Amino acid sequence: MIEVTSDWYLTLSAILFSIGFLGMMFRKNALIMFMCIELMLNAVNLTFITASRHLGLIDGQIAVFFVLVVAAAEVVVGLAIIVSIFKKQESASVDMLSSSKG
Amino acid sequence: MNLEIFILAVVALPLLTSIFLKISGKLLNELLTNFITINAALLSVGLSSFMFGYIFLGKFKPLKFEFFEWYPSPQIVIEFYLDGLSGVMMVLISGLSLVIQLFSTSYMSKDEKYTKYFEYFNFFVFSMLLLVLSGNFLVMFFGWELVGLSSYLLISFWYEKKSAAKAGNKAFILNRIGDFGFLIGLMMILNHFQTFNFIAIFNSSLISQPKNLDLIILFLLLGAFGKSAQFPLFSWLPDAMEGPTPASALIHAATMVTAGVFMLVRISPMLQFSEIGSLVIIGFGLFTALIAAFAAINQEDIKKVLAYSTISQLGFMFIAIGAGAYVAAIFHLVTHAFFKALLFLGAGAVIHEMHHEQNIHKMGGLRKKMPITSAMMGIGTLAISGIPPLAGFWSKDEILASVFSKGGIYYGFWALSLLAAFMTAFYMGRHWLLIFIKEPKNNLDNVHEAPKNMTRPLIILGVFTIFIGFINTPFFHGLEKVLEETLHHVEVTHLPEGLTLAILAILSIGAGFTGLALAYLIYIFDIISYFKLRIPFSSEIKNLSKNVIYINDFGNAVFVKGLKSASRRIAVNIEGMTIDGLANGISNYFLKSSKRMSYAQTGLVRSYVVYFGLFTLILIFIFLISPGVPA
Repeated sequence: MIEVTSDWYLTLSAILFSIGFLGMMFRKNALIMFMCIELMLNAVNLTFITASRHLGLIDGQIAVFFVLVVAAAEVVVGLAIIVSIFKKQESASVDMLSSSKG
Repeated sequence: MNLEIFILAVVALPLLTSIFLKISGKLLNELLTNFITINAALLSVGLSSFMFGYIFLGKFKPLKFEFFEWYPSPQIVIEFYLDGLSGVMMVLISGLSLVIQLFSTSYMSKDEKYTKYFEYFNFFVFSMLLLVLSGNFLVMFFGWELVGLSSYLLISFWYEKKSAAKAGNKAFILNRIGDFGFLIGLMMILNHFQTFNFIAIFNSSLISQPKNLDLIILFLLLGAFGKSAQFPLFSWLPDAMEGPTPASALIHAATMVTAGVFMLVRISPMLQFSEIGSLVIIGFGLFTALIAAFAAINQEDIKKVLAYSTISQLGFMFIAIGAGAYVAAIFHLVTHAFFKALLFLGAGAVIHEMHHEQNIHKMGGLRKKMPITSAMMGIGTLAISGIPPLAGFWSKDEILASVFSKGGIYYGFWALSLLAAFMTAFYMGRHWLLIFIKEPKNNLDNVHEAPKNMTRPLIILGVFTIFIGFINTPFFHGLEKVLEETLHHVEVTHLPEGLTLAILAILSIGAGFTGLALAYLIYIFDIISYFKLRIPFSSEIKNLSKNVIYINDFGNAVFVKGLKSASRRIAVNIEGMTIDGLANGISNYFLKSSKRMSYAQTGLVRSYVVYFGLFTLILIFIFLISPGVPA
């Protein structure tokens, strides 16, 4: 029987974070990029929980609650922005949003 | 009883009148304004005569009144000082202002800004009284600046006329040049004496003179030259004739322009030690007296003749000061104030009746139409020409004799002054003859004698012009006694005795009569065309005289145009390169660098993500390598 140690959780969270980050870098669709952000956030949450359990401290779990709240708020704003982008250009591609190009 | 406080009352009364007229100006009609201003002027005359009588009884022992301390160290006090000198000026100013205000009620009648005129007028009287009653240099400077201001206001009184507005500016700016010198002189005085108080300064300068005394005197002189319209700062006075004629009479003939003379007599305890200062005064005074008299000969404007004549007579006063004859200078100041005010008011009456025609060639034969005015102006003309026993004779003769009695190079100065006196008689003769005697070219049927409110002041001044000379004759030294205390420690040049004096007097009377006679021969008898005389260069001389030997044009070319082009060059070259260059350079730098920075904003969200990741990595890296982090 393989014992599931904290390393496993941390590795998983690193993999999730990398998937999220690469997704942010390479996808054009705003909705998918948004999901990637959520993925990264939850990867971080996982790290917090792991650390909390590993060290036997409650602090990490409290931090996760904060992250969840912020993420929820962010979803509200972010989805609204995406909807209005979609209304404007009939596509959620972020590459077309280059009006702030220097 | 403590009477010093009344000095303050004398100064404050015109100010209060002015403020009252300012506040209630809209509510007052002409009658009410007259009532207020004339009564205030009467009260002012009463007060100042009373104060003069008081110091007369006290044998002209000076009265001091300290109003309040303004600044503790170096101590600056707002203080007043009443001695013989300021007493004479005080009575003169309040008396003349009463007479001239009486005249103004008629002259300014039906003017839109009637009340405003009297408001400015009273403000001027206040400033002038502040100037003469000041107890230290600083208060004097306040008065000095305020008379400049009120003079400006009255010159450009009809500012709708562009020439009047311009003349006001010119007067103010040229006076500023002089005031600048005066101010520097004051700073040097404060630096050396640590006080502004007249008595303290004069007492200490009697014991030991400052090393830079000459410089101080020269700077103060610049102020006097500006205010008293001496060469080279005189060209504002003829232009100042744009103002209302009664204001010209009071400000630009009788009182304000004599402020320079007053100031020089006031500082005579210092001035006497500065030989250079005295020589500069007599030199510039003489030069001014001559060129102004020369210029007056060919002026066509009735007031400009009088303006140049005023400049010339002020030159005489400066000659007297330069020669150390301070009493003679003040004496001429007093007599000149009366006869020049008379001449100006007479000119005002003529202008009023001629419906604002000022060209004397368009007048003529007014003697029958305006008998009182012509007689009074005749008295004024004789007085200024130095015909005895009128006022001008006594004072002018005293100046000439005092200059003569100094000997040496002063014989030359005397001869030139005599020439100036001769020219004075000539141009004043021409002035009067052209206005009142010469056959008129135009039809002047609708010209009548001026109204009573104008002729009455003329008669009052005429009587004074006849008799005022007797306050200081070789037989009765009235004014000398008045000024004795003021000039206690001053070396005053005295008149020569006996026969010399008589011969000098005869010579100066001769100069006066010759000038008048020559004017008659040339302008009425027309001797030049009668004998077909040909005077060489006559038209050139005429032009030279008409244009005041081109001093105005010279000043315009050199100072106005020169400064304009110089400042344009500075604006383009120096300022363009340094100041503008710096400011533009800085803004350009930020513009370019921010443009370059903005290339980082690609507009691609993904590249931002890359930056984000990159900097996070860097941050983590820094976090790891920095010491003190628990591993």
